Amino acid sequence: MKKLRQEFADTMLEVGRRDEKLVVMVGDISHGILQPYAQSYPNRYYNVGICEPTIVSMAAGIAKSGLIPVVHTIAPFIIERAYEQIKLDFGYQKLGVNLISVGSAFDYSQLGCSHHCYTDISLMSHFRNAQVFFPGSPIELNLLFKKVYANGHINYFRLPEYPHDHVLDEKQIIVGQAIRILKGECLTIVVIGPQLKTVLQAAEILKQRRCSADVLYFPTIKPFDGKSVWESVTRTKNVLVIEEASAHDGVFNQVLRATRDIPHVSYSQIAIDDFVHGYGSYEDLCQRLGFSVEGIIKKIKQDLKIEQ
Amino acid sequence: MTNQLRKKIAQIVAQAKEGHIPSSFSIVDIIDYLYSEVLHFDAKNPKWDKRDYFVLSKGHGAAALYVVLHKNKFLTDQDLEQYSQTAGILGGHPDTTCVPGAEASTGSLGHGFPMAAGLALGLRIQNKENRIFSLLGDGECNEGTIWETALVAARQQLGNLTAIIDLNGSAAQILPVDPLAEKWEAFGWKVLVIDGHDRDELNRAFGGLNYSFRGNPKVIIAKTVKGKGVSFIEGHGKWHHRIPSSDELEQIYAELA
Repeated sequence: MKKLRQEFADTMLEVGRRDEKLVVMVGDISHGILQPYAQSYPNRYYNVGICEPTIVSMAAGIAKSGLIPVVHTIAPFIIERAYEQIKLDFGYQKLGVNLISVGSAFDYSQLGCSHHCYTDISLMSHFRNAQVFFPGSPIELNLLFKKVYANGHINYFRLPEYPHDHVLDEKQIIVGQAIRILKGECLTIVVIGPQLKTVLQAAEILKQRRCSADVLYFPTIKPFDGKSVWESVTRTKNVLVIEEASAHDGVFNQVLRATRDIPHVSYSQIAIDDFVHGYGSYEDLCQRLGFSVEGIIKKIKQDLKIEQ
Repeated sequence: MTNQLRKKIAQIVAQAKEGHIPSSFSIVDIIDYLYSEVLHFDAKNPKWDKRDYFVLSKGHGAAALYVVLHKNKFLTDQDLEQYSQTAGILGGHPDTTCVPGAEASTGSLGHGFPMAAGLALGLRIQNKENRIFSLLGDGECNEGTIWETALVAARQQLGNLTAIIDLNGSAAQILPVDPLAEKWEAFGWKVLVIDGHDRDELNRAFGGLNYSFRGNPKVIIAKTVKGKGVSFIEGHGKWHHRIPSSDELEQIYAELA
């Protein structure tokens, strides 16, 4: 499956070709892969420099001038370092921007804490005029970006390094809607991003043990499709949330809100509770933090008391 | 003439019990000059697409902007009377979401200037000849984003961008920015140093500027006096965010008469 970063470059070229308002600004990353766009539209491409808060504020000025900015760099620098700029210059002033990150969570596993970003989803969820997307495959990015990029809101696209490799029906990729990947009765699994791949592997094992999982996948995190969760959890009464992001104020919080009126629900969560110390490959860190088939099976047994 | 504006600043701050009088006094001559002699605008149509943009990056000088916007009919008497009141639209910092003529919501130092640079770039991309002016504080020049923007604007040759620095000595109290002119020159800007309270010098500086799309951005370093015009307010210290009593307000009026 094509890498999300390549799809980002391809989508910019596609959208830039037909919309002269699109302006792409990067903080010295993806400069090579964006060359087709840069060479086609040199007046609308800027490798600004390594100065993320300034890039974000400048993007606000560009939005004020009537154009549609796209700002792209690594998640901790675009969201956490430039958060005040996002808050005041876009959130408060109600300006439109497309923030496109790579390197969220622990995608840059070997680079350590400075290049990790767990809080981006919860931070970006604080603004009423923000939408948050976590496309786990290229087609999700392409379709969702084209749908929203000119809507005048803050659109945050969190691009994972590794796609989930699951082929989705394009008709199901709709802004603000969850996609039911598997229909089941035993428990609801709410999952975002590349962890869909792990969930589907775990679901296969659960199925062999006569526990069918209702798997809901969320390309859009905000606005959150609480209705789909409510419908599923009403039936299963068990829910496991798997989010490669901070355990605090993220998808689990949305699931709690969506299901607060359903009695006798058991909850479990696999997420990132605090800093991830140490190094290793992405897969190594997934294993260590429980983003694995074994981790999922264990959580279901421990927290939801489902015997398999 | 600008002393009338200073009286209004003192009046609205005293009435609302909120505002930065000395910071506003140091920049009111500059803002009044810009709106009188430099900026193209239409107060009846604040979003006129041919207007020039003025971004007050040192947002805590908002009272100076408000009295000038009022003088130029962007704001009504009632707007000024309701400064910092529940029913009003004017607060301690400019708010573009509700104040006609306020181009950016500022207050957090180091935000307005890069937004102004983004405006300059965005308008140039569209071949629009609007000019962009941004007023910064010298204390604000402690912020990293000011120097990041200085680098980027020079690199992008934003000839339609002009910065004005209110050099009232605030930075010198804590973290001096001297030699300021040499620093901006080293960053690739065309630098002019003037007396920010002298209209002839303002005329000389702004009259000679070239605002072409591509070229060095320009910075006018305006030497000013914080609290200018009232002896007991001038300088640095307790008056930075102090609200005058009714007696003090009378003394302010007397000195500005």
